[in-house]
Amino acid sequence: MSTIRIENVTKIFNGEVVLDNLSLNIPSGKFFALLGPSGSGKTTLLRLIGGFEKVDKGKIYLGDQDITDLPINQRNINTVFQNYALFPHLNVFDNIAYSLSLKKVPKDIIEDKVLKALKAVNLEAFVYRTIDQLSGGQQQRVALLRAIVDEPDVLLLDEPLAALDFKLRERVLIELIELQEKLKTTFIYVTHDQFEALTVSDQMAIMNHNGEIEQIGTPKEIYEFPVSSFVAQFVGTTNILHGALLKDQDSYYIDVHGLGKFEIQVPEHKKWMVSESGTKIDTRAMSIRPEKIFITKNVTAGFSNVVEGIVQTIVYHGRSTQYNVRLKNDITLQVFEQNEEHFPQEVIDYDNTVYLYWQKDNVVLLER
Amino acid sequence: MIKIKNFLGNISLPLFVSLVFLFLYLPLVILIVFSFNDAPFPAPWTGFSLKWYHELMDSPEIWRSFYTSVVVGVSATFLSIMMTLSLIYYNLMGGKLKKLLLLFYGNILVPEIVLAVSLLCFLTFLSIPLGFLTLIISHTILCSGYVLPIVYGRFLSIDKSVIEASLDLGATMSNTFFKIVVPLLKPSLFAAGLLAFIISFDDFVLSFFCAGSDAQTLSLFIYSMIRSGVSPIVNALSTILLIFSSLLVMVFCYLNIKTKIF
Amino acid sequence: MKFKELIKKEKPFFGVSLSFVWQGLFFYLPLIFIILLSVIQLSTIPGYYKIGLANFLYFFNLSYINIILKSFGLALINCVLCFIVGFPIAYFLAFKAGRFRNLFLFLLILPFWTNFLLHVYAWFYVLEKAGFLSNLLLFFGFIKEPIGFLNSYWTILLVMMYCYLPFMVLPIYSVLERLNKNVLEASADLGASSLQTWFRITLPLSLSGLKSGFFLVFVPSFGEFAIPGLIGGDKYVFVGTVITQFILSNGSMNLGAAFTLISSIALIGLIIAMYLVGYKYIKNFGKIDD
Repeated sequence: MSTIRIENVTKIFNGEVVLDNLSLNIPSGKFFALLGPSGSGKTTLLRLIGGFEKVDKGKIYLGDQDITDLPINQRNINTVFQNYALFPHLNVFDNIAYSLSLKKVPKDIIEDKVLKALKAVNLEAFVYRTIDQLSGGQQQRVALLRAIVDEPDVLLLDEPLAALDFKLRERVLIELIELQEKLKTTFIYVTHDQFEALTVSDQMAIMNHNGEIEQIGTPKEIYEFPVSSFVAQFVGTTNILHGALLKDQDSYYIDVHGLGKFEIQVPEHKKWMVSESGTKIDTRAMSIRPEKIFITKNVTAGFSNVVEGIVQTIVYHGRSTQYNVRLKNDITLQVFEQNEEHFPQEVIDYDNTVYLYWQKDNVVLLER
Repeated sequence: MIKIKNFLGNISLPLFVSLVFLFLYLPLVILIVFSFNDAPFPAPWTGFSLKWYHELMDSPEIWRSFYTSVVVGVSATFLSIMMTLSLIYYNLMGGKLKKLLLLFYGNILVPEIVLAVSLLCFLTFLSIPLGFLTLIISHTILCSGYVLPIVYGRFLSIDKSVIEASLDLGATMSNTFFKIVVPLLKPSLFAAGLLAFIISFDDFVLSFFCAGSDAQTLSLFIYSMIRSGVSPIVNALSTILLIFSSLLVMVFCYLNIKTKIF
Repeated sequence: MKFKELIKKEKPFFGVSLSFVWQGLFFYLPLIFIILLSVIQLSTIPGYYKIGLANFLYFFNLSYINIILKSFGLALINCVLCFIVGFPIAYFLAFKAGRFRNLFLFLLILPFWTNFLLHVYAWFYVLEKAGFLSNLLLFFGFIKEPIGFLNSYWTILLVMMYCYLPFMVLPIYSVLERLNKNVLEASADLGASSLQTWFRITLPLSLSGLKSGFFLVFVPSFGEFAIPGLIGGDKYVFVGTVITQFILSNGSMNLGAAFTLISSIALIGLIIAMYLVGYKYIKNFGKIDD
C-alpha cells in the first residue's frame, strides 16, 4: 500500500506560516497532481513528504508507516528534482545505478536493470556518456530513471517539465502517464501549470496563495465543477457573475444587477446556500466557461439564458476564436467558439450586436 | 599626422607591456644562460659546460634541503587538506560552523613575520626543539589559510539538490560525503593542494625563524648561498627550479581550463 | 554499546575539534603569547621578571620611529610603483591581449610560483660588483672598472617591485576582466578621451581590485627584511631587520616581541589612516564636480 496520508501538518518558515493544519489523502497507485500558483506551498508540501524539511506540527504516513520523523534516506520515496540534480562526476550508468549500488545489489542485476530502463526510453546508446554531454530532455529522462530504478513506493516530481521547451513537454507528459500506468507507483506531481495537471493526473488538489487546499477531485470534476472562484479562474478561464440567489417555486435564479435574472441549477449538496423563504439573500457567484456559451447575431430559441452585448475584441486561436463581448452593465464576457467550418455561415465582426446563449446545466454555482 | 599619432597610441601599451615582461624575464634568462657557463663567474662566456649541474647533483647539502622542503610541503598540504575536509564533514553532518570559520581566515591576514616570530617564541617556550616538526607546524598554519577558503568556498557552491538527491536515493550523509561531495571537490582539492605545496616550498620567512639550526629548507639554503656571494651552482639550481615551477604552472592552468577551478 | 554509539555519532565532532585545537594552539596562542612576552621584562637576576611597559619604552626614541616610518615609506612607494607598472599590464591583459592572453597570464603567474629568492639572486647576479651588468658595461667600454649597483635604496625598491608585481596585477586583472566592456565604449561614444574614460570610468570601477592589490603588496612589504638585507646589505635597516635582530639574539626576545607589537600596531594604525584619507578622496571619484 503506498498511500500518503498527511494529517494536520503545519510548516512555518521564518515566522511565516506556509502550511496551516493541512490534511490530505493521496491514493495509492495513482497519478496525483498538486496544482497551485507560486508561493502556494505546494513545493514545501512535496519536500515535507520527501523528508527534506521537517514538519512543525502534524504527521505524515506512508501506508501504515509513520514517516514523520524518518530521515530522507530511509523513506522509500524518491524525487525527480526540478533541476535534475544529476551527479556531475558520474556517468549516466552510475547515476541511474546509484540507489542500487548503495543497497549492495549484485553487479549483474544492476547492469540488467539499468540497461533495461535506458532501453525503454531509447537512451541505451548514452549509457556511458557524461552528464554534460546530454541535452535537457535527456537529462530529465536520466533523472527520472534514476528515481524509479529501485522501485520506490512513491515518486515525487517537482515541476519536472519547467526547463523543457513546449513540444518536448507534451511528449514527456504522455510518457509519464504511460510510465505510471505501467509501474503502478504513486506519482505525486507538483506544478503551477494547469494544463500539465489536467493532462497527467487521475486526481488533483488545488492549493491557493495561503497554502490551503481549495478542492480535490478528478481533472474533470475540478474543471467542470469548481468549488470556488479561485479554482474556476486558476484552472482554465471562466466568466464569473455575481448576484443574489433567488428561489422561484422550483427554479433558482441569480439576479445580476443591471442585467437581470439567469436561471441556474442548484444540486442537493448546495441547497444550504439557499434560504427557505426564497427571498433575496447574500450575493453568490456563478461560473460559466467560455466554451459553454453560444454566440450569434440572430435570436435563437432553446436556451435557458440569454444576454445581449457588443463585440469588443476578437482573437483568433486557430482551433477556436475568442470573443470579448461587452454587456449592458459594462461587464465583459469571454466566449470561445470552435472554428468548425472553413467558411462559417455567420461572420461575427467588431462592434456587432450579438446574443449570448447558455443552458442552466452548464453554469456552476460557486460555494465561495 | 593623425595616422602616426594613432599608430603611436596603439603601440604604446603593447610596447610598454612587452618591455615590462622583458624586464621580468631578462635577469632569469641571464641566470639560466650562465648556469651553463664554464667559468665560475659572471665573467664573459668561456664555454658551454654542465659541470655546475654535476656539482649540484653531488651536493649532499642541497639534496638534504630539497628533501626537507618536499617533506614539509607534502605534510603541510596533507594536514591542511585533512583539516578542511574535517570541517566540511562536520558541516554536512549537521554541525554549525558559519561564524567559526572566520577563525581560520587570520592565517593569511597576519604579516608572515609576526606569525613566524610568535611561533618561534611560543614553541621555544614549550621547549619544542626547532626543526622538522616546527617547520611542519608553522607551514600547516600558513597553508591552511589558503586551502580552507578555496576548498570550503567550492563546497558552498555545490548545488545542494545533488546532496539531497543522494540522500533521497538512500545514501546516508556519510556515504554522500565520500561518494558525492569529495569527488566533486577533487579539482579544487588538487588546485588548492598544489598552491599550498608551492607556498610551503617557496616559503622563506616562516622557515627562517622556525627551522632552527638542525633543519634547512631549500629557500634557506639559497639564502645562505646568496649571503656568501654568487655561485654558479645556485644558477644551476635556479634553472632546475624554474623548469619545475613552469611544469607545475602549466598543469595548474590546464586543470583550470578543463574544470574551471577558480 | 552506548559508548560506542556515542563515539560513532560524535566522530565528525572529534575530527573538527582537532582542527580547532590545532588552529588555537598554533595560531592564536602564539599571538597571545607574544603579547604577554612583550610586557615581561627580564631582570638581571635569573628567574625573576617584572611586568611593565619598559620594553615598549625602550623603542620610544627617534631612531626606531624613523625605522618604522622608513618601512612605511618603502611599502608605500613599492605599492605606488607596482600600481604604475601593474595597472597598464592588467588593463592590457583584460582588454587588449586577445589570443595571447593566456600566454601572458602564464608568463605573469610563473614568477609568482617560483621562489622569490631566485629572483633576488637573479638581480644579485646582474647587479653586483663584477656582475653581469658591470661586465657588460666594461665590455662596451662605458666604464673602466667593475662597479656594483647593489647597496642602494632604489635597487631595493626595484627588486621589491619586481617580486611583488604579480600581487598587484592579478587582483586588478580579475576585476577588469569581469567589467562590462560596453561601459567603456559608451564612455567613448559620449565624447570622452581615453584618458578621461580611464580616470572617470575604468579606475573607479576597478577600485575593489586596487584595494586587494594594495593589501597584498603593502602588508608584506612593510615587514620585508630579506630583500633589503640581501640587496642593501646591513646599511638599510627596516622593521623586519630590527625584529630579526632582537628575536634571534639571546636575551632580547622580550624586546623583540615588544617591537613586533609596536610595529604591528603602527601598521594597523597606518592602514586605518590611509583608508580614512583615501575613502574621503576616492568617494567622489569619477563623479561630476559640483
